This record gives sequence, structure tokens and C-alpha cells, in this order.
Amino acid sequence: MSFILQSIFNGLLAGCIYALFAMGLTLIYGVLNFVNFAHGELIMWGAYSLYLFMEKPFHLPLPVALIPSLSLTILLGMGMDRFTFKPLRQANRLTLLIAALGLSFLLRNGAQFFWGAELRTYGFQIRRGWRILNMSITPNQIAIILTTLICIMIVYLLFHRSRLGKSMRAVSDNLELARVVGIHTKRAIQFAWIISSSLACIGGILLALDTNLQPGMGLINLVKAFAATLLGGVGNLWGALLGGIVIGLAENLGVLVISTGYKDAIAFGIMVLLLLLKPSTLYGAQE
Amino acid sequence: MDLFLHLWIMILIYTIFAMSLNLEVGYTGLFNFGHVAFFGIGAYTSALLTLHQVPFELAFAAALIAAGLSGFFLSIPSLRLRGDYFGIATLGFGEIIRMIFQNEVWLTKGPMGLPGIPKPVLFSCRFATLPQYLLLTLGFAILTFLVLRFIIRSPLGRIFKAIREDEVASTALGKNVFHFRIKSFVIGSVFAGLAGTLWGHYITFISPGDFTLLETILVLLIVVLGGKGTEWGPVLGAIVLIFFQESLRFLRLPAEWAHYLAPLQQMIFGGLLVLLMIFRPEGILREKGKSTDVGTKRCQ
Repeated sequence: MSFILQSIFNGLLAGCIYALFAMGLTLIYGVLNFVNFAHGELIMWGAYSLYLFMEKPFHLPLPVALIPSLSLTILLGMGMDRFTFKPLRQANRLTLLIAALGLSFLLRNGAQFFWGAELRTYGFQIRRGWRILNMSITPNQIAIILTTLICIMIVYLLFHRSRLGKSMRAVSDNLELARVVGIHTKRAIQFAWIISSSLACIGGILLALDTNLQPGMGLINLVKAFAATLLGGVGNLWGALLGGIVIGLAENLGVLVISTGYKDAIAFGIMVLLLLLKPSTLYGAQE
Repeated sequence: MDLFLHLWIMILIYTIFAMSLNLEVGYTGLFNFGHVAFFGIGAYTSALLTLHQVPFELAFAAALIAAGLSGFFLSIPSLRLRGDYFGIATLGFGEIIRMIFQNEVWLTKGPMGLPGIPKPVLFSCRFATLPQYLLLTLGFAILTFLVLRFIIRSPLGRIFKAIREDEVASTALGKNVFHFRIKSFVIGSVFAGLAGTLWGHYITFISPGDFTLLETILVLLIVVLGGKGTEWGPVLGAIVLIFFQESLRFLRLPAEWAHYLAPLQQMIFGGLLVLLMIFRPEGILREKGKSTDVGTKRCQ
């Protein structure tokens, strides 16, 4: 019984992280109407950039290293848009996606070039967890949940209370109309990239804290984030949150039944099932 | 001389692989980003069967059928998706297939890979030496070229192109778009399986690490560099890119560089893909009858 409880807890934890990825992915989809194939690389670079500032020559403590790391990832996200996606705004969809895929491959191998393909960690001591309800809960895990909650709060406040957030929602609803009523669409797009990259960076760091760092972590999490996005309805921020948690739970409960080697395949399995069973309800189903 | 023969064998295998992707991406407008899966399925099926003393003709046929069937089963759920979602579904599928190669140790020996894959004997003709193998791949490449050209020039091929250009109009003309997309995807998968089979029997050692995103990127780059939607584009692209890739391998660079060289080379592939898309999305050869401004579906 405690085994299942522990799995549920771990699932919620992973789900929080996936939710951050999925919210970033769906945000860009909402504003620019395409799936950013390089979103996984923002996650990976977010995690690695923290590693960069925590190791030599910088040796910054984690809270301080967070600031340059976050800035670097935001810069990367905006650079992506400026140098790859912006020139292709009017292009054919296939062209745009191939470029995004190429960019993702470039960034992934960039990380491998600097840090190698081996697994890395931030080098924290593994601490013994507290025992609550027969579950083992580490301080790291508490930190992960708290950070996620704070991020979600901030995103909520931004979107529903601030002018910029409202303008972004308007752009996401209808770009042309937003432009007509005088919303600064360029600013809204830039803002969307900032939020999306920040969420990817924070999610990537949390994931690396919970597991490890590896150049391939981007791709597999892109697929998970996408599955979560589909579950929640594409373009729907709060649906993405829910979808992420469902994926996290399914993964951690699923490995009780099937081999752990296929843990990463569960999100894909859910996606396929969803498509087979309820293709018509999907927002993004074939027009 | 051996080097030269090796180079051409690789070029021909990748030409077959790229031509199969060209049918999907270039002619039908399907965003298949997991083409390596079918290459891998072909390679593994044929290798496993021949290692268990199944005759080559049977093993080859089984490999093509396995690739085609898996393409069929993947396409049913995922082709319901709109373009970019389909892309991500295939991308995921490519990873899943690799996971299966890695985890089903009883069948595939997992990360250890399958060594000692025999050289093919087709119709009591043995293809063991380099010139013989070159002949074999050349034969299959020409066959693939002709078959795919026949398809593209047939009414079926015209429907594929019509779907690529305008899905709604094709539906209005009474074409079942979903149905034709599956057809294109399955044909493409079968020929990718053929390329994988030829590759496996040539290299004689396969492991899950051979079927990564790199292969997908490489073959996609071949197609878009040569010119998607053209008959000779994939051939040209394969010559240029495989020459580049394989020549790096034979430069005899110091071993300690290898750590940096592989990611660097892959960064070049990724970067090239981005630059091509921004500056010349139609590739070296331009599809006839198309203006530079390709496509009807716009992003915004």
C-alpha cells in the first residue's frame, strides 16, 4: 500500500515538472500557432546552464547561479525566435518545422560538445528523506513542489491581472484582431518567449535535481510535454497543467506493471490511445 | 579503392532511404520526423532472421513487410493529427522503437547489438565482396528509383501532390485524404525498411545506438538539400552529404578529437538544416512548376 502511495507522490512530483514544460509549449503554440520542436532544448539548456554556473570557474551557490542561468535560457529562447522563427513567420509550415527540428539538433549537440554525453548531476549530497505516511520525502522534492506552485501562481497573476498578460491572451485568441485593436503584438510575442523559456529553464533544473543531466533529456521531455498538451487541449494553459500531472502519475504508476525500461514510452502510449479513442474531441485534430 | 567502393555503397543505401522519405515529405507533404524507425525495423528484422538461418529471400521480404506493417499501424492513430502534431508523434515513435531494440534483450540482445550478420545470398548469388555488394545496392537503388518514379507519375502520385497542395480541395474532389496519406506512409516505410536491410547486411553489426535522431536528421537533410519533391534531389543530396560524412571518418584525425568531432559534425547538420530552411527551402534542385514561394498553408 505504501508502495502505491509513494508512486502517487512521485507521479505528482514528475507531473508538476511536466506541467511546467507543457505550459511553455502550449503558450508558444497559442501565440505563434506552431509546435516548437526546440522546446526540449530550452529545457536541457536551462538545466545545463545552471550546471555551468555552479561548476568551475564560477562556483556560485544555487540561488545565485539561478539568475544568470535563467537569463541565459531566456536569451536563448528569444534568440531562437529572432534568428530562426521570425524570418520564417510567413513561410510554409513544413519549412518552419524542419528548421525547428534542425535547431533542436544543433542545440542538443552543442551541449554535448561542451559537456560530453555522460550523465551529470549538480553534485548535491543525497539526503535521507523524512518519513511521512510511510513515504520517503526528501527536501529536494518539497522544493520542487513549492517551486512549481509558485511558478503557476506567477503565471496565473501575469495572465489574468496584468495588461501584458491580457494582451498575450488576446494575441493567442486572434492575432489579426489583436493587432487591429492596437495591441503591441511584437511585444506580446517576445513576452511569450520569455515566459516559455523561463518555465522550461525552471522545469529543466527541477528535473535535473530530481534525476540527472544528459544532452538527450530535451527530446524525450518534448514528447512528454506534447502528450500533456494534447491531453489538456492544445493552447489551453490550465489544461496543460492538468495533462502534465496525469502524464506524471501514469508514468510512475505504470512502471508498477510494466518494465521500467519503457517508462519514457508511457506518455507516447497515452497519446496514441487518446488519438485512437477520441480523435474528434481533440482541438488539434484534422480539420 | 576500397574506400571509394565503400563510399558509393553508403551513398546508394542513403539514396534509397532518402527517396522513401521524399515520397512522404516531398510529394505528400507528411511531416515524418521518425523515419529512422522503419530503417531500424528493416535492419533488425532481416538481421535476426538470417542469424537464425532463415533464407535471405524470405528474410528480405519479411523485413519489408515488417517495416510496412509498422508504418501502417503507426499511421492509423497519428495521421489523424494535423501536420505538426503528426511530426511530433513520429518523432516520439522513432525514440520508442529504439527503446524496444534496447529493452527486449531476449530478442535483440539489447545494447550489446547483433554482431556477425551474414552477407546476403540472393538466388544462389553471393554478395560478399565490396564490388559485389555495390552491384547489389546499385540494383536495388535503381529499382527503388524506378518504382517510386512510376508511383509519382501515376494518378496516385498526382493525388499525393494534390493533398500536399490543398487538403480541402482534394477532399472536395472526393479523395479520401486519410486513406491516401496512409498509402504514401506505408510505401515510404517499406522502402526505408529496404534501405535498413541493405545497411545491416553491409555493416554486419547493428545496435540500438545506430538508430537515433541523427539518422532521421541526416536523411531529412539529404532530402531538403537535394530538393524535396524532385526525382533526382535525394540522389544529389546523398552524394553531397554522405561524401562529407564518410570523408571525415577517413581523415585519420587524432583519437582524442573524436569526443568533439562527432557533436561538431552533428551541429553542422542541424545548423545546415536551419540555414537551408531560411535561405533556400526548396534545396539545390527546384521542383518543376513551383515558384520559390512554396506552400499554400501559411503560418499566420
